[in-house]
Amino acid sequence: MRLPDRVTGLFLVGLGAAAAYGGWLLPPVPGQPVGPNVFPLVIGTGLALCGLAIAFGIGHSFEEEEELIPVEGGQPTPPTGKFYGLRALLPPALLLFYVVVADRLGFIITAALIVYVTSTALGARWKLSLPLAVLAPIGIHLIFSKLLRVPLPPGLLPMPW
Amino acid sequence: MLKTLLEAFALISTWEVIVAMFAASVYGLVIGSLPGLSATMATALLVPVTFYLSPIAAIATIVAASSMAIFSGDIPGALLRIPGTPASAAYADEAYAMTRKGEAELALGAGVWFSAVGGIAGTLSLMILAPPLAEIALSFSTFEYFWLAFLGLMCATLVARSSPVKAIAGMFIGLLVSCVGIENPGGVPRFTFGITDLFGGIEPIPALVGVFAVAQVMRAMLTPEPPPIPRRKFGSIMAGQWRLTKKYHWQMTRGNIVGIIIGVLPGAGADMAAWVSYAMSKRFSKEPEKFGTGHVEGLVEAGASNNASIASGWVPSLLFGIPGDTIAAIAIGVLYMKGLNPGPTLFTEKASSMYAIYLMFIIANLLMIPLGIAAIKSAKQMLRAPRELLLPVILLFCIVGSFAINNSLFGVVLMLVFGVVGYFMEENGFPIAPAILGMVLGAMLEENFISSMIKADGRLAAFFERPIAGSLGVLTIAVLAVPLVRRAMR
Repeated sequence: MRLPDRVTGLFLVGLGAAAAYGGWLLPPVPGQPVGPNVFPLVIGTGLALCGLAIAFGIGHSFEEEEELIPVEGGQPTPPTGKFYGLRALLPPALLLFYVVVADRLGFIITAALIVYVTSTALGARWKLSLPLAVLAPIGIHLIFSKLLRVPLPPGLLPMPW
Repeated sequence: MLKTLLEAFALISTWEVIVAMFAASVYGLVIGSLPGLSATMATALLVPVTFYLSPIAAIATIVAASSMAIFSGDIPGALLRIPGTPASAAYADEAYAMTRKGEAELALGAGVWFSAVGGIAGTLSLMILAPPLAEIALSFSTFEYFWLAFLGLMCATLVARSSPVKAIAGMFIGLLVSCVGIENPGGVPRFTFGITDLFGGIEPIPALVGVFAVAQVMRAMLTPEPPPIPRRKFGSIMAGQWRLTKKYHWQMTRGNIVGIIIGVLPGAGADMAAWVSYAMSKRFSKEPEKFGTGHVEGLVEAGASNNASIASGWVPSLLFGIPGDTIAAIAIGVLYMKGLNPGPTLFTEKASSMYAIYLMFIIANLLMIPLGIAAIKSAKQMLRAPRELLLPVILLFCIVGSFAINNSLFGVVLMLVFGVVGYFMEENGFPIAPAILGMVLGAMLEENFISSMIKADGRLAAFFERPIAGSLGVLTIAVLAVPLVRRAMR
């Protein structure tokens, strides 16, 4: 998802200003030449200036456009539907899902759902994604919970080991 | 010396280290060869496993996986014209042209052979450079460390292959991340927004897993599946490599040296080394017109270069905790976790561990030859590893790994946030390396700046009064000024 430089630049101006303001609010340490407020102030100001420069297109000429390397027999062209770009947001959405429900449902069930959805989204048929969704969480649970003693949440389906 | 060497041998000749190294090598070869999964990602995903290994075995996995992955990125580059890791992108066209001329064996063989040679040259540089530098670094005070961190950040922004403004913005974003927490000169909660999990600062490992693994998975959701490899029977892989070594020994040496220098520079890693070396090879070649048509010369030089940078990237990491590249940034996290805190005293107090690292680098690069040949021969099967099976499992690994750092879901949240940030940064042309350097070096920069200011009673001139600090300061200013002056001259 490529946003216009104007948008990213202005976002950085906002972020920088917020950081500088946040730094400015921090109390200085008495008797010390520089306190905890100096770094955020400097960084925030710098970030805001960079954001301005980006928004006005300074330094844009240095960017190299990524070349698509053609392959013999033609590159498979990605489908360019309106919502195709949103597919990239699927992994973070699934991670968020894990954070929210893992303690209640437990590792095995949550992980199985994540695996099933991801592999289906990548084009696997259910004959492939279903066994994977069952086996992968159990395998990883075995390694991390049994061998490496990571306390993965048991939830509804505790494993016998 | 001999005693330390024997101790080092004892350290690495345990079953744990041997198995860890072998397994990590195979893992690195597979991940590196899959387009879209980079060497840095391979290393980041290893971190949760390294928690449970002894310090030496943990480092062994990182050394082995990163060296192998940088080489195996050449395989799909030569066979499909799709580089497996960014470090192979510089010469993927050339290698593919050789394959089309029927010289796939020569191209891939050169990949294995000159990668191994480069890796060993890089290791030698680590062995030769690091101890004397450690001697000097023992006398460093906060002034010198401040300049080193500052110089590191400047290098990382200047060498980025993107708009310098965006590189600097990336660095500031990283520095801003390093501000979070109460570990600051005033001991006040800074940018913690009342979240207690943030008081200790941003944990680097989940953040790195997010930036390098989650962001990659996000990108992979949008990239089409690579096409299958045409059926091919490979002849002898190593035939003709000795002839090439003799013919292009000067190119190989130059590639090694350039790779070593670029590896030592903070923030510039294997991909930069490959681009610079390939360009140099073409520039100084006697037959530059052959470049691009399947000419092996550039492959020799760039292959020797990118693997040399992997080992030499450990020089500033081990000495100062300043990562030479993004892989070294992850390695530093593991070193801290294992009680091998980077610093010049490592070389005096833990000399045997350092020797063990050298030995592991050499072994990994020797192991690369047989394993690399096996990987090339099984390229067809390996590259067919279906992404719809691999990516979900990688996602689970990310979750469990970032959870295991503190056994808390907050690690997963951090990883998720950094994954999204990393994805958007890269999509919009903001280079990642300066941001990582900013994140890793921010605390060092601030701490040493403030201690120095207190020592000097607020006099900025004190930063130039000690001889080494003064030279480093002048060097930093020169590094900053050169591009500006060159611009003005034009």
